[in-house]
Amino acid sequence: MHTVAKLVDTSTCIGCKACEVACQEWNDQDFTISGFDGSYQTLPDLEHNFWNLIKFNELSREDGQMTWNMAKYQCMHCVDPGCLRSCPAPGAIFQQKDGIVDFNHDLCIGCGYCITGCPFDVPRLSPNSKKVYKCSLCSDRTAVGLEPACIKACPTNCLTFGTREDLIQIANARAGELKQDGHAGAGIYNPEGVGGTHVLYVLKDAADPESYGLPKDPKIPWTVSLWQGPVKWLGNLLFTGGILGAFFHYLRYGPKPTGDEEGSDA
Amino acid sequence: MQARPVHRFSFAERAIHWLAALSFLYAALSGLALWSHHLYWLATVLGGGVVTRWGHPWGGIVFALLVGAMFLIWARQMRLDSDDRTWLRHAKKYAVHDEAGLPAAGRFNGGQKMLFWGQVVLTLLLLASGVVLWFPEWMPRNFRLAAILIHPIVAAGSIGMIILHIYMGTAAVPGSFRAMIRGWVTPGWATSHHPKWYREISKN
Ligand code: HEM
Ligand code: SF4
Ligand code: SF4
Repeated sequence: MHTVAKLVDTSTCIGCKACEVACQEWNDQDFTISGFDGSYQTLPDLEHNFWNLIKFNELSREDGQMTWNMAKYQCMHCVDPGCLRSCPAPGAIFQQKDGIVDFNHDLCIGCGYCITGCPFDVPRLSPNSKKVYKCSLCSDRTAVGLEPACIKACPTNCLTFGTREDLIQIANARAGELKQDGHAGAGIYNPEGVGGTHVLYVLKDAADPESYGLPKDPKIPWTVSLWQGPVKWLGNLLFTGGILGAFFHYLRYGPKPTGDEEGSDA
Repeated sequence: MQARPVHRFSFAERAIHWLAALSFLYAALSGLALWSHHLYWLATVLGGGVVTRWGHPWGGIVFALLVGAMFLIWARQMRLDSDDRTWLRHAKKYAVHDEAGLPAAGRFNGGQKMLFWGQVVLTLLLLASGVVLWFPEWMPRNFRLAAILIHPIVAAGSIGMIILHIYMGTAAVPGSFRAMIRGWVTPGWATSHHPKWYREISKN
């Protein structure tokens, strides 16, 4: 089956924030401006009720002028999602056949493990409902054949929705165009450390994703892999070994003498 | 002949011990519910996932407080002396009931003392890492990454020690369960398991 994806061509983002508005509208979310920190960015970071942020990364160009590396930030819909590996509540996080990673809030217990497991620092705990929220890739729209709200709203075709295979091709072609236009470092962002993502980027400077606010080599944190792998196996071994060990010790050696047996001198 | 009972644990000692045991049982079961998807049914039994997530840290706090109480009443008696160290070096003999060469135990033997100190240390670690897991939204990422590894490792060690402790306190050493429930033991029990202690209390 073909999986779906979203492509963000950062070279054509004009920072209009139409996608942010569309996301808020479709998902019916109120939010408050939490503060003004002297930037064009709507909010400093993602929030439990704000799942899609255009980061206005400020850089200085060679000629001393200021420029922006604008990049859309949201859940990356990882092929190997750290959130899913961390979640203790069966079904609270699930990965659809089409690659979308979504949360079922009825099953979420609000432990916040997924926040720690996510290499992109995406899920956010709501102080009101004590559940965790993030971009669903508009699974409620894609399920009925609509494209995600952000993509519908984008005026420059910076955002594209389609099958992951197609979009990787389109992205590579676009990176080739940018190279011909003089952006020698252009390339795509589809980090291998999480098995690839269902949100792909074209970057003019692919060697430096951090200048777009994207982690350079995201991986599921090693403590998370260790915790959900060997620690669990060794722990299970310890529990069963302990119970069986006690049982067989009793079979082999029996109880201690009580000191009150016939013939004891107490 | 019914031997005269020897008073071993006061009501306060027994109450603290059993409150700690109950709160540990709750913390362990509610924690294990999240340990594996295969154990998530424990959360259902304990009132559902949300209740379990809410209740576990409080159960842990109550347990930690009771460990603090045990520390206050027992820490001085739990100091290891040279006999205890010799005892520990020959603990294997104790395990196979070959106690001939073992030094006489006081009110607590070397193994019990190690269990006590072990649980004190593990509880401190559970408390510290547990508080980090409790409020993920306020904790730095590195703290959370460490706590998510430390808390379950320490919990597993602690549960492992308690499995041994329960076995010793019930099947393996007859008479010790009654000691913690009713507070007394027989003179024979005291002589064979804690002779140094029995000698001391019989002096007065
Ligand atoms: C001392 C105070 C303690 C605090 C504040 C605490 C807190 C927490 C928190 C916040 C979690 C995350 C999920 C949840 O809330 O249920 C957790 C998980 C857990 N706790 Fe505790 N806890 C404490 C003591 C204990 C004790 C005594 C045990 C049992 C030996 C224990 C065993 C576990 C286990 C097995 C998990 C699941 C770990 C995993 O998901 O792999 N905790 N604890
Ligand atoms: S970006 Fe984070 S929240 Fe989204 S799928 Fe990957 S691990 Fe999960
Ligand atoms: S907060 Fe919810 S979705 Fe995240 S790991 Fe915990 S139960 Fe799963």
